[in-house]
Amino acid sequence: MEYFKKMKGDAKSPPFVGFTEIFWSWIGAFVGIAAVAFIHYNILTETDLLMIIGSFGASAVLIYGAVRSPLAQPRNFVGGHLISAMIGVASYQFFYSHMWLACAVGVATAIAAMHATKTLHPPGGATALIAVIGSDQIHNLGYFYVIMPVGAGALIMLLVALLINNIPKTRKYPEFWF
Amino acid sequence: MDTQTCPIDLSDEDILDAMKNIPGYLDITTRDFKEVYLLAYNQALHRIKHSLKARDIMSSEVISVKPDSSLEEVAEILSENGISGVPVADAEGRICGMISEKDFLIHMGVKKTGTFMTIIAQCLQNKGCLALPIRRQKAENIMSSPVVTVTEDATAFEISGILTEKNINRVPVVRQENRLVGIITRSDIVTSSCSIGY
Repeated sequence: MEYFKKMKGDAKSPPFVGFTEIFWSWIGAFVGIAAVAFIHYNILTETDLLMIIGSFGASAVLIYGAVRSPLAQPRNFVGGHLISAMIGVASYQFFYSHMWLACAVGVATAIAAMHATKTLHPPGGATALIAVIGSDQIHNLGYFYVIMPVGAGALIMLLVALLINNIPKTRKYPEFWF
Repeated sequence: MDTQTCPIDLSDEDILDAMKNIPGYLDITTRDFKEVYLLAYNQALHRIKHSLKARDIMSSEVISVKPDSSLEEVAEILSENGISGVPVADAEGRICGMISEKDFLIHMGVKKTGTFMTIIAQCLQNKGCLALPIRRQKAENIMSSPVVTVTEDATAFEISGILTEKNINRVPVVRQENRLVGIITRSDIVTSSCSIGY
């Protein structure tokens, strides 16, 4: 009975945020994603290199939309992406003949490793998964995937977060670095 | 744990209102907040109870009586100061006993569990003064001794344990050679714990 009771969900949802918060979330996400997307589509076009991956969209929610969250702090953001990327690539290389297993091991291990290193960052799960289910272009990067797009992209987005999130009086970023 | 007191009971609305006053998206539910609040509150209480020393909460202006003070004097001192107990110290300030209302009652022939109401009842029945048997006596004749004392370094937590365990309401604070430097009552302990929360 206790088990089913737990499914009720008796806590209250946090309140709405104000207009300023919505505005600066939009600005931050726009500039941050614009930066990595511009490099990806306008500068790296002649190369096999990438700068943007899907999980950056999820990171943008946190580092521009929920800047106070521990999950959005530099340690979690950069650390979570790097660790998950490594695990994703390793998982693909070990288990690519059983893709379902590579996916599951990659994401599950990424979460465990982020927890163990206190770098939990939800988009990290996607970063690990992309390393497994991504295109051949991503698979061909091997462990370079960790450095670029993941590491380089995360650093660019972090720089934008530092610049944009500290403009409004009501915001301050980061809460902590490490 | 006897140090556990009840912090203010926050409602979900209180927490949500507070969250609205903080700009930005707070990644926490009201329930999580309450859980953290309760744990942190008790943790703080525990820490403060253990870090608050006798010297921080004691009254250092102690009213005391001499062993050869007459009981009339002692009773007057208690009544004038609105206190129910007083330490007995010799000329050098060394504590040699404690006198409380209870000691008076016991020596007036009231049984150990007796209260002031027992006296009233007996007075009404006998129409006599029960204080007669102790009229000519001195402080040293009725004081409780040896005395339970604490040093200035004792923590509030230890002291509240002693008060409960020995079933006493006040404990003198002493330095070397039992020299009296202060006194701590139950209400000092309560006040020090309350000042944490308010």
